[in-house]
Amino acid sequence: MERFIAALVQGLDSGRIDRREFCKSVALAAAVYSAGDAAQAQVQRGFKIIGINHMSYTCPDYAKARDWYASVLNMKTEAARDDGKRANLMFGPEPGKGGSFLVTRNPGSVASGSAGAKAGGEAVIDHVCYTIPNWDEARVRATLEAKGLDVTGRDGSLHVYDPFDYDVQIASTAEENAFRR
Amino acid sequence: MEGFVAKQVHDYQNGKISRRRLIEILTLATTTAYSGKSAGAAEQSGLDVALVNHLSYTCPDFRRAADWYSMVFNLDQVGATARDVALPFGKKDEKPYGVSADDVPLTHIICRTRPPDTPASNRLPRRKARAVIDHIALTVADFDRERAKAQLAAIGVKNVRDGGPFSVYVNDPFGYEVQIAGLGVTAICGAEARATCSDKR
Repeated sequence: MERFIAALVQGLDSGRIDRREFCKSVALAAAVYSAGDAAQAQVQRGFKIIGINHMSYTCPDYAKARDWYASVLNMKTEAARDDGKRANLMFGPEPGKGGSFLVTRNPGSVASGSAGAKAGGEAVIDHVCYTIPNWDEARVRATLEAKGLDVTGRDGSLHVYDPFDYDVQIASTAEENAFRR
Repeated sequence: MEGFVAKQVHDYQNGKISRRRLIEILTLATTTAYSGKSAGAAEQSGLDVALVNHLSYTCPDFRRAADWYSMVFNLDQVGATARDVALPFGKKDEKPYGVSADDVPLTHIICRTRPPDTPASNRLPRRKARAVIDHIALTVADFDRERAKAQLAAIGVKNVRDGGPFSVYVNDPFGYEVQIAGLGVTAICGAEARATCSDKR
């Protein structure tokens, strides 16, 4: 509850919510809390996240990126969604059942509703880390080196650069886990 | 091999793949066959990614970003330090959605504040990327676009845009674009195409 209220206050301070909305929210939270179900109040306000749906990756040559991610990380290309300017690369669980995909795009290829890639943003995702199950240090390193990649990092948590110098981390659950930081 | 080529030609003639893509596929297949390996073996020569482990999100004020993602997506904050905090997509000991393996942890976002030229963990200077993740899309349970817009309005998120009939776009406090979608938006049926897509998973 404290964190919820703190978030509301921050929203108020920053102007994201107005005073009226703030009061309504606190009153609602109090009412639900008094009914013994404070946690539910949070769930109903925000979303229940399932996972990463996709990442939109803009680069000078989408096909080069597509081929790299397909080759190095065994992502599966979806030919029907490759229009010569962008491609979808699937990985993880099946599509629609928790699977994710990476969209590689050329500059100017923008999804409907998206603002597209902008220069000079205040925030950036400076690397993406992928989990490799059944981690075998020697096998993982040998696989990456066989692709001609310069592998850095520590055992269980390796880094390589893709063709556009984007930092890609590859890790085991033992080395990269939010609850073991 | 013939069957494989026939399938690619069929896809090309039916407009499923471009001429360039057809050439790329067949070039790869033929050169792999020449070296004595099957196309399948070539595809499997990399590493099998199970899931995104984490996204490293860098911004001027990681606490503000983390609070926003916590509020909008009901995420806990764990392992906070003076410069970063992790937001796992679930509770400790939960498994990621759709994953049965025991060695695949929950995806998380690490919100951090650090100069862009901070050396990587290997202490080597970080290269300047010529690519950018311009937006991320997060899958949420029971997505309904109009309901989502109402939910976002109720928590003070402004400038919500439609991303086709099956997703919305918002901006976080630092202007980073976040798409919110349901399970039905997939690599096969994108947010724009889903209405006419034959794949209804």
